[in-house]
Amino acid sequence: MKSNFIELEQGAGGKKSEELISKIRKILDYTGQWKNTADDGAVLDLQSFWTWHVQKGHTTSFSASKLVFTTDAFIVDPLFFSGGDIGKIAICGTINDLAVMGARPIGISLSLVIEEGFPEDDLLKIIKSINDISRETRVPIVTGDTKVTEKGKIDKIEITTSGVGLAGNIISNGGARVGDVVISSGDLGEHTAAILASRFNYKTRVKSDSRPLVKEIQSVAKYLTACKDPTRGGSAAVLNEIAEKSKIKIVLDEKTLPFKKEVVAISELLGIDKFSFASEGRFVATVAKKDADKVIKILQKYNSEAKIIGSVGRGRGVWLKTLIGSQKKIETPRGKLVPRIC
Amino acid sequence: MCLAIPGKIVKIHSQLATVDFNGVEKEINISLVDVKIGEYVMVHAGFAIEKMEKGHMDELKSYGI
Amino acid sequence: MEYEKILAEIQEKAKKINRQVRFMELCGTHAETIAKHGIKSLMPENIKLISGPGCPVCVTGQEDIDIIVGLALAGIPVACYGDAAGVPGNLGSLEEARQKGADVRIVYDVSEIAGARLVEPLQEQNKPTIFWGLGFETTTPATAWAVANGLMVFSSHKLFSPAMEILLKNKNVKIDGFINPGHVSAIIGTQIYKQFKIPQVVAGFEALDVLRAVDMLSDQIISGKTEVQNEYTRLVKKDGNKKARELINDTFEIVDSKWRGLGVIEKSGLKLKKKYQTQDAEFVYRDLIAKIKKDIKVKPSACRCGEVLQGIFESRECPLFRKVCTPDNPQGACMVSGEGSCNIEYRYEK
Repeated sequence: MKSNFIELEQGAGGKKSEELISKIRKILDYTGQWKNTADDGAVLDLQSFWTWHVQKGHTTSFSASKLVFTTDAFIVDPLFFSGGDIGKIAICGTINDLAVMGARPIGISLSLVIEEGFPEDDLLKIIKSINDISRETRVPIVTGDTKVTEKGKIDKIEITTSGVGLAGNIISNGGARVGDVVISSGDLGEHTAAILASRFNYKTRVKSDSRPLVKEIQSVAKYLTACKDPTRGGSAAVLNEIAEKSKIKIVLDEKTLPFKKEVVAISELLGIDKFSFASEGRFVATVAKKDADKVIKILQKYNSEAKIIGSVGRGRGVWLKTLIGSQKKIETPRGKLVPRIC
Repeated sequence: MCLAIPGKIVKIHSQLATVDFNGVEKEINISLVDVKIGEYVMVHAGFAIEKMEKGHMDELKSYGI
Repeated sequence: MEYEKILAEIQEKAKKINRQVRFMELCGTHAETIAKHGIKSLMPENIKLISGPGCPVCVTGQEDIDIIVGLALAGIPVACYGDAAGVPGNLGSLEEARQKGADVRIVYDVSEIAGARLVEPLQEQNKPTIFWGLGFETTTPATAWAVANGLMVFSSHKLFSPAMEILLKNKNVKIDGFINPGHVSAIIGTQIYKQFKIPQVVAGFEALDVLRAVDMLSDQIISGKTEVQNEYTRLVKKDGNKKARELINDTFEIVDSKWRGLGVIEKSGLKLKKKYQTQDAEFVYRDLIAKIKKDIKVKPSACRCGEVLQGIFESRECPLFRKVCTPDNPQGACMVSGEGSCNIEYRYEK
């Protein structure tokens, strides 16, 4: 009988490793224009890459002179949650990190560290969701690595993805200007809300918002003065980063906060600040006031919740104009998210 | 001290009840209160600590809180 | 809009009062509401809102922290609420104990560990998890439930009203009115406060609740009354929750208890009754606890949590505040808990 659980030998480089890798490769069947994807390093012939894309009509309006490179490691508990799994956030995370810089992702590497005894079906399910996003976004997985550790050395599985992308203009997070408005590509914090819901056994229709942002951002890239995806640390962290790097003050309005009532309820149940909830498929950005309506209109084609959430002024930090008319500071979250009862 | 949030009783099964918090349902221990389906309770650390008076609840809601 | 109306009223009444008054909120969640909505910035100059000893993590005695951390370090599994894990003692915090290999679990709800590891005859390898119960009457019923359901408990629970009595006796503490804790009152009712001859309002936790409480306290000051008023009628009943109090009374006995900053307060703490002693970590591990206490080397600290808790001293006046003492490197409990005055001051200060 063949074991259905990952064995140490499957990460040892021998025949069993080969078998496992070939199973993974069979699922990850999209390599785009990359060659030598079974060698030590994948190769992309840039000239034929451009010709191919232009022929296919993918990047006709895209002129790139800059290479953007990023990497991210992913651990999540639980591995499977409403709206996604660790595989989906691992590929979306890296694609989105490139996208918010204004880049078009062209290739991703995938490293897996798997705990001995991990169910093979779960592994293949994770790989499949990576492939689904890879196909959907036409971003190939071109190289990778697989290791298996002894039981107890890690928690089930860890995934690292690195990615390269090409960009014309880089969108930095330090470009917000006084007079800009702050926009959100949709309601925020649903990823953390969904994770907490499955961890604490809540029943809710809130799903992880994880999804690739390439098209959305490309469609409005030329208007954005600063852009970030509010992943770890949530909107509190990224807005503070934009405010600090741009040397401006951001004021949000409590009347138009981008949170669903369920997200607010989960935040209140556990005593965890909703501004620290992560999203895995949203971005916040600043745009000139005159472009705001145009940008929102375009973004609403992708997500009807896209809206203006605040304004940029002189000063420092991120502030919330409360319902009762006072202003309070929104700080970058500290430490990890721990439920509180008091 | 004591973070607590109000929720609505949806289902009762002995000491536990399914309580709805604005679209999020959680099992809550109701052994400290006498409640019926449809009533509101204040929940602290997994326990309903007291029943809410419906009339008084609406009063606050009208201020858009 | 209601807010503007009530804020205008408060301004009016402050003029009538025409002297400096200090209202103390007795519940950390009120402190949080006040900070979250920026209420202090909307108050008239002569109405000052100060924080009292309403954060259960903050008032827990140093010795209790040392004992529970000592037990965890001795290899006994411990479960606690999120806020309690980071409070530093002489042996570090429970979180630090976990980093050293102790079995420390954070729960939102004590029933998360119920059923899983009930009290069994003590074996070297398979020790039952100790639930560290702390907090006032709001949280105590959950711990009582845990005891009734067979869990092992270390109780740092406290009663609320004895602390109010001590504050009123202290001549250094100048208070003109109390905003009484809404959720504690849901259990203990409002009658118990009548013994204190000072304006009091039991209030809820929305911004409007707190504004109303300030408004009602101002009325009492103007008319010279000292009443217990209930603003939180949607939840708090005159007699409180009898069922919950019965459960507390069945499980716990009232003992003298040490509070951070306030010292030992007579009849202010709750320990498990004798009939539950096989589930009382303090009894079961009495020898180990005696040893932990003997070995403790008390670290000197310039932390002034105690005075902050009594409203004598403000967080920002502490020489450690923001410099040495931050939420990432707390020197005292008031900086650890999300309800601690120092933590709130740190997070919300302009």
